[in-house]
Amino acid sequence: MINKRSWVLSLLVVFALLVAACGDGDSGDTTETTAGDSTATTSGGDAPATTSGGTAEEVTLRVLIHQNPAFTEYMDAFNADFEAANPGVTVDMSIVAPGDMATSIQTRLSANDVDVIDYCVAPCAGFSNAIQPYMTGVEKPAWQQLIEANLIMDLTDEPFIQNFDEATVRDAVSFDGKVYGINMGRNAFSGMFTNVDLLAELGVDIPTTWDELIAACDTINASGNACMTQGGGDTWPIFVGSYGLLGAEFPDQAALSEGLWTGAIKWNEGKALETIERFQVYATEMLESGVTGLSHDEATARYAAGDVAFLPTGTWQGANLEGFEPDFEWTYAPFPGSDNAADNQYLFGKYDLSFLIAEDTPNPDVAKAYLAALSDPDNYQAFVDATGFLPTQPTATLDSVLGNAVSPLLANYRNAFEQIWVAPTGAGQWANAWQAAAWFAPYNEWTDAKALADQAQADLEAGLGG
Amino acid sequence: MNKNYLFGSTSGWKRYAPILLLAPGVFLYILIALGPSLATAVYSFTDASGLRGAPVNWIGLDNYDEFLFQGLASRDNIDATLRTLKFSVIVTFVQFTLGLILALLLNQKLRGRTVFRTLFFIPVILGVVIQGLMWKLFLQPRGGPMATMFDWFGAQSEFLGGLPGPAFNWVIVVQIWANVGVTMVIFLAGMQTINTDLYEAARIDGASGWELFRSITWPQLTPAINTNFLLNIVGSLQAWQLFLVLLGYKPGTQVLGYLVFAEGFGQGTSPTFRQGFAAAASIVLFFLVLIIGFVANRYVTWREARYMG
Repeated sequence: MINKRSWVLSLLVVFALLVAACGDGDSGDTTETTAGDSTATTSGGDAPATTSGGTAEEVTLRVLIHQNPAFTEYMDAFNADFEAANPGVTVDMSIVAPGDMATSIQTRLSANDVDVIDYCVAPCAGFSNAIQPYMTGVEKPAWQQLIEANLIMDLTDEPFIQNFDEATVRDAVSFDGKVYGINMGRNAFSGMFTNVDLLAELGVDIPTTWDELIAACDTINASGNACMTQGGGDTWPIFVGSYGLLGAEFPDQAALSEGLWTGAIKWNEGKALETIERFQVYATEMLESGVTGLSHDEATARYAAGDVAFLPTGTWQGANLEGFEPDFEWTYAPFPGSDNAADNQYLFGKYDLSFLIAEDTPNPDVAKAYLAALSDPDNYQAFVDATGFLPTQPTATLDSVLGNAVSPLLANYRNAFEQIWVAPTGAGQWANAWQAAAWFAPYNEWTDAKALADQAQADLEAGLGG
Repeated sequence: MNKNYLFGSTSGWKRYAPILLLAPGVFLYILIALGPSLATAVYSFTDASGLRGAPVNWIGLDNYDEFLFQGLASRDNIDATLRTLKFSVIVTFVQFTLGLILALLLNQKLRGRTVFRTLFFIPVILGVVIQGLMWKLFLQPRGGPMATMFDWFGAQSEFLGGLPGPAFNWVIVVQIWANVGVTMVIFLAGMQTINTDLYEAARIDGASGWELFRSITWPQLTPAINTNFLLNIVGSLQAWQLFLVLLGYKPGTQVLGYLVFAEGFGQGTSPTFRQGFAAAASIVLFFLVLIIGFVANRYVTWREARYMG
């Protein structure tokens, strides 16, 4: 009988412990005791950290970033330097795949489980896809939802913001007159890495028009080399690689977005239809077979082998390409999507990753110090050198093969369509026809460009109420 | 006389012992299963983003209206629902049949049957990500094992990165491969409870192998059949992780479970957090599981009554 009672009592104790474990154990203060005799206490996230015992405060700064080999390598080195310069601070950095950033940011910010985030929510582009005056009934972008939920810290008055150029601060990390982060650089993705040696060997000039590109691919393929490769395993590189086509036909990307919303431009007419037709040529005739077996980074490694002429993708892969030490001369040239060479001199791209601070971080001073260090001109120059990002600080320069190739084109740099476009609520999945290059066979079901363009327009009009 | 077999008597506080014993389980069920399920139903009538501190507004049936009727996005949602049903029917039928065949084979006195049982069960203990990565390598179109086999016959395929139909079918294959071990083990366990005297007597009466199976194994396996039937249906209706790992967002391949994840966690083309809408989609999925599960349950109950008495 005693045993039975003990059993029941034991169960009750377990139950009570479970209830206690499920309770909110956060009293608002956190106390960490370290091996020494120092105790660091931070209160409520507002007051500065206090230290007792006369030694440095022990603080763990939780940082969330996305995977990109050159970027993560830089961040590892930066964190080591930051820890050395700030005794007692440990940086706990999590690295997740770009596609998982939205989920990680949403859940970790909501759980107050992160202090600093790299806002790289697809398409990893700062505060993009803002609701334009001509858009009705669309959802707010994720970054606006985070700000309006008071999950992101206002950094307007922080001095390190001044290190960045005004346009970047305004366009990439500001909302409603306040500044919420630092943008670490821009990237262009309407160009293609070009194997200069291979073209020279085959007697082919770097193509500057669509017809020249087709002729170049014919020559390259006939020689047994491949015209283009791509990281089709990740899907998005296929349509990002086709961006030069859309940019060449529609240099004013904001006007394209507005035109599609107002009906002035239709996917199945004129230049838009021609663009989709050229998407098909790019996807089915220019890309080598089997690209869906390559991830984005693997495609860069494949390109570095030397028997592929072009890799149409973003400049963010420049540093990674250099890391593979290709044994050939290369450059980054605009994708010649138009028949008119003058239309192919633009570079389209985006503001890339931005660092933001969680509003409720228990370590606001350390988090700000972290961003201040990232913004320091010397550190920023090192970041640009490591990643190949186009600088957003006026004092930084991109002194590399990529920088030399891109610098002359920066005067023609424009924000890309994907940074502006938001599909109307109710539009079908084919309405985002700027991604159509990834929808043609063998990557998806479409074989007729006109049929796809008609479907894209029908899907769009369904959302517009047409 | 009421006798409590655990505590010997129903007098005094011992009357409440069963309730106390059940309480932790019930508490955990409410905390982990029932509570979130009810909250999901409530969320489906709101514009919740899932962000701490974000306002939550009651919007009535708007999410359901958008999911089922608005524009051509509703066509994509209905397609995803139908695709979920197709996935479930094929996976349930093939996994059930294959699991039964494997169990019948591995219930024989064969050399190395323990090794084979282990081999068929190993995929079950791998995580979805590992399962997905293994099959991505196997189906690698650039010189992968399957591409090489295709090449022997002069064929070529992009496999998971190719046409939606074949890509979807490959997910079915992986789903079955990953879960058939559980089906097999449940059948094996059921077979080992069957009294061997029944087979002995039937053999003396001249029963063939097929007659043994039809008249003894099949009816005696009723509890295992029912369990597998329901598990396969519900599991396949709710499957989505393999779609994420193997295909990601690929037009023409989404199932409802994946759609719920994508909408709720900002995985769309222009990311936005829509947990209210995702909750509505998950309630649609819930009713799908409920209706099919209810019909299936009625069927297996009837079947159990018929065969087991």
